[in-house]
Amino acid sequence: MATATTTITEGEALQRLLTWLSPAYPVGAYTYSHGLEMAVEDGAVRDRQGLADYIGAVLEAGAGRIDGALLAAAHRAASAEDDAALDDVASLAAAWRGTAETALETIAQGTAFLKVTNAAWPDARLAAFTARQGGSVAHPVAFGAAAAWHGLPLRMALFGFLSAFAANLVSAGVRLVPLGQTDGQITTAALLPVLEAATEAALAADPERLGSAAPVLDLFSMRHETQYTRLFRS
Amino acid sequence: MDALPERARMTAPLPRHQRAHGRAELGFAHTPRGTVLRHLYHAAPLRVLFPTPEPGEPPMAALVNVGGGLAGGDSLEVAVELAAEGTAGITTPAAEKIYRSLGDDSRIATTLTVTEGATLEWLPQETILFDGARLARRMEARLAPGARLLAAEMLVFGRAARGERLESGALFDSWRLWRGGRLDWADATDLGPAPGARLGHRFGFGGAGAGALLLLAASPAEAEAGRALLRAAGHAATLPRPGLLLARWLGEAMAVRGALSAALPLLRAGVLGLAPSLPRLWTS
Repeated sequence: MATATTTITEGEALQRLLTWLSPAYPVGAYTYSHGLEMAVEDGAVRDRQGLADYIGAVLEAGAGRIDGALLAAAHRAASAEDDAALDDVASLAAAWRGTAETALETIAQGTAFLKVTNAAWPDARLAAFTARQGGSVAHPVAFGAAAAWHGLPLRMALFGFLSAFAANLVSAGVRLVPLGQTDGQITTAALLPVLEAATEAALAADPERLGSAAPVLDLFSMRHETQYTRLFRS
Repeated sequence: MDALPERARMTAPLPRHQRAHGRAELGFAHTPRGTVLRHLYHAAPLRVLFPTPEPGEPPMAALVNVGGGLAGGDSLEVAVELAAEGTAGITTPAAEKIYRSLGDDSRIATTLTVTEGATLEWLPQETILFDGARLARRMEARLAPGARLLAAEMLVFGRAARGERLESGALFDSWRLWRGGRLDWADATDLGPAPGARLGHRFGFGGAGAGALLLLAASPAEAEAGRALLRAAGHAATLPRPGLLLARWLGEAMAVRGALSAALPLLRAGVLGLAPSLPRLWTS
């Protein structure tokens, strides 16, 4: 099994990490609230602490738990140039969706991510993976594979992805609750220990023994489908 | 024990308990007379009974754990195969109980194989986790194109009647659904090292005493019709993949059982063309 030994400069690594995870990267992250819109409507999230608890649960026991582990598995398979293992991770990630809207959230973003990344940072391996998957891949797997082939270390890529996911939910919360911009950033700053723990959990996860523990979040997402007025697609 | 040197104490055998490893295999064939049993194997403590079906209803097998429940180290394996165009169901005559474990997991592994054009119902009654129970459960369902599966599983977190909650122990509960050889849906619940904390978290299980999952794999049009039926009855429901309907409930055991008991007849009658009823063993 060959191992990719892409080495890149610090500037190259930082540019890719910051750009690919920026809210400005054209994957449409700002259109998804991951069920938060329904939780706010329900009165379950009313303030800064409620928002931090919601995002903490997503990271510890919900999609963050699953997607972090899948990102790590994708990065490792791509680093090892193991196409079959990477395709298995992609199919597990596509299947591991609790609701229609969380499926849309990850597949639409992953698909957009591959489209723009293949165009702006061309790599033959990423192009071949994209073609094998018909262009449609869950976001953490698309990002994890691209990160590996572009020389971004796993821990940095994983921590970055989970941080961007959390920051996107903070931004949704600032608009929905609503909260002041400063309260939003206080929430982001306070999430550091949760992000560090989620990163460690994802690195240690066994894909065969992976599980979540937040059906309340699934129920918010399911009920969001029939919420009367909605700003967000999830 | 104190007199033993450290090394001997580490390797001294633990008291051995007789552990139960049950297995049941059911194979159904489709004939001009309807769906009939073609293959049956059961090993204690699992037994399979066949109550006489209601007139016009397909066969509904009853899986009985004559051991009365599972202790740590016990395991059950169930394999069901339904041939093309057949219709059959599996249920249980009572709730399954998972007792407090001394350390080992209680394991349940189920494989359901549903062939082209066949319809299988997997409708066991609830599983009650005693405080300290350690359950590792895996479900693998393999559906051919055009096959349908209606499945429901309910878990109760502690003996509600005694005011008991699942505080310690473990739950790993995994689902894999394959359709036409392709992984269609995956899910697993893992309560981690402190089940009580996960169950109590307001964005985890919200303090619920029970939870249920209902899944209908059918054609895209049938799954959409099922979603409309559930929504009209006030249940949250979703289509995570085309042709896959999913609903979940959380709450106290009686309420969750009530919601599931209301939802199942809607889908049986409205989508599968069966009677608008529950398996008779659920209500007798």
